[in-house]
Amino acid sequence: MTWFKLAFKNLIRRMTRSILTVAGVAIAIAVLYSLFQFQQGYQSQLKGELGALGAQMMVVPKGCPYEAATIALHGGKWPRYMDEGLLDKVKANPGVAEAAGVIMDAVFAPGNKNVILLGVDEDYMKLRPAWRINGHWLDSDFTVIMGSTAAQDAGVRTGDYWVVPEKNVRLHVVGVLNRTNTQDDGFVFMPRRTLQKISGLEGKLVLILVKAKQVEKTDALVSSLKASEVDMNVFPLSELLGTISSLMASTKVFVSAIILIAVILGGVGVLNTVLMAVFERTREIGMMKAMGGSRGDVFKLVWAETILTTVIGGVTGVLVALVSSRLVEAFIRGMIPYAPKGSLIGFSLLTLAMCVGLSLVLGLVAGFYPAFRAASVKPVEAIKAE
Amino acid sequence: MQNCGPEPTAVLANGLVRTYRRGAEEIQALKGIDLDIKRGEFVGVVGHSGAGKTTLLNLIGLMDRPTDGKLEVLCTDVARRGVRLDALRRMNIGFVFQEFYLMPTLTAIENVLLPTMWGRSGNDERGTMNNERYRAEELLKLVGLGHRMTHRPSELSGGEMQRVAVARALINSPRLLLADEPTGNLDTATRDGIFNLLQALNRDSELTVVVATHDLSLESRFTRVIRLEDGNVI
Repeated sequence: MTWFKLAFKNLIRRMTRSILTVAGVAIAIAVLYSLFQFQQGYQSQLKGELGALGAQMMVVPKGCPYEAATIALHGGKWPRYMDEGLLDKVKANPGVAEAAGVIMDAVFAPGNKNVILLGVDEDYMKLRPAWRINGHWLDSDFTVIMGSTAAQDAGVRTGDYWVVPEKNVRLHVVGVLNRTNTQDDGFVFMPRRTLQKISGLEGKLVLILVKAKQVEKTDALVSSLKASEVDMNVFPLSELLGTISSLMASTKVFVSAIILIAVILGGVGVLNTVLMAVFERTREIGMMKAMGGSRGDVFKLVWAETILTTVIGGVTGVLVALVSSRLVEAFIRGMIPYAPKGSLIGFSLLTLAMCVGLSLVLGLVAGFYPAFRAASVKPVEAIKAE
Repeated sequence: MQNCGPEPTAVLANGLVRTYRRGAEEIQALKGIDLDIKRGEFVGVVGHSGAGKTTLLNLIGLMDRPTDGKLEVLCTDVARRGVRLDALRRMNIGFVFQEFYLMPTLTAIENVLLPTMWGRSGNDERGTMNNERYRAEELLKLVGLGHRMTHRPSELSGGEMQRVAVARALINSPRLLLADEPTGNLDTATRDGIFNLLQALNRDSELTVVVATHDLSLESRFTRVIRLEDGNVI
């Protein structure tokens, strides 16, 4: 028989109590694992989304730039517009390699499905070198290219005609994008002039995506663009990433503190349970000592039981977090103002090892005092005890 | 543990005193006992409840230290500095109690194997563990439970549980077996079975057996009887 087996068999003697103790640790570790994984997943997905924009900076109308960024990333209606003439001014800046003006609108298709419409021109295509179009680029005012998901939802293919919901305008589908795994999959792209016309936004833009000639001089370009025009917001996407990340990091510190308290409370719960078990098993411990068990042997056994409890709790917690990641993600998405598309909670061996390691440390700390108490039991007094 | 000659003494006590404190009150459980138990004897420590039988067994079993007097167990002075009583106990002394103290989640053979874990580093070779298992099986057969090895205590009768406890006490090949009221919880027929077993162990393996009992009807079963009354040998 091994120490592990003996410790395990001692745990299952008090099945309900052991399960509840393990559950306490598991819940704390599951929340901790989800939080860390969410933090990593969020940053990585956000980076991916910003990268997919193909630009280093955005020019948006005056107002909250982060709200504008959200619209730019996920599409939608935003009641702020810039004059289209700004696009020429931006393009005229010597530091600009490419600049693409975008107008956006959102309509509801039958079944209450939100359809995001983007009015773009050929400059937009230059920011999307990775696009593969099943068909060809927009060649007249009444043509449309659909993202793969948008085409699937609308039930159209290249060559079909599609009627823009709410607008009753019939467009020829000249291309469907191969899947990009970015926000573009859900968008419908049409000539900018067409969307401006059918949405009553002639001469207006929602944003301008800007690609710098020299990436290392992005900051200088931002300053230069800001100085040239007062009626627009210019901000680098790295700043957006940094701001959102630091916001998330601050939240993480706060939430981590709460979870840490939960973990500590879990540890106190474990300590209490094991200590109670030690008191209840006084005679049994006395018998172990009568059979030659030393202080070290008894200490080792009780410590092993505690560590086993917390490690089982830790592993269970990680498994629960993995299994329920979709549910947790949906919950978090509902709680935060902006979340990138794609899976926010992934799998990381390092985080997994860290959480299981924490549960081990919890066991080592929580089990020390009960193990010490058990080791201090005097066999004669223990066997006499009722 | 040293070898102490051709006719060694298993237990030697001179003026053995054990005093307990209960609040302000001082209770003298043993009041200067002299003892000489030879190796291979089957000794009964007989007396009424409170006579000091358990206290004496605890001292002989190295679970307690005397307040005064000299006590040598298997030629080792228990009061000597640096003596590790738990190691001595593990290697040389087997205990059987009135309550069986079997671990409820362990099978009979696992309960017998339990004392082999104490003092083990955890790195013992598989061969050693196989030998221990073989010995546990042999002991269970010896006590008549060869067919009950994988049964848990809840599936055993009182007598069977005490037989498991006897096998457990013998697993580390002790030289001294101490039994404190081993038949106190058993009916007469089962009691006789357990006593026959203890007698056979004493006879066949020259194991020194000391049994504490308040059951005066068992006196005739021992090779020698030590009578205790109020902390004194009478």
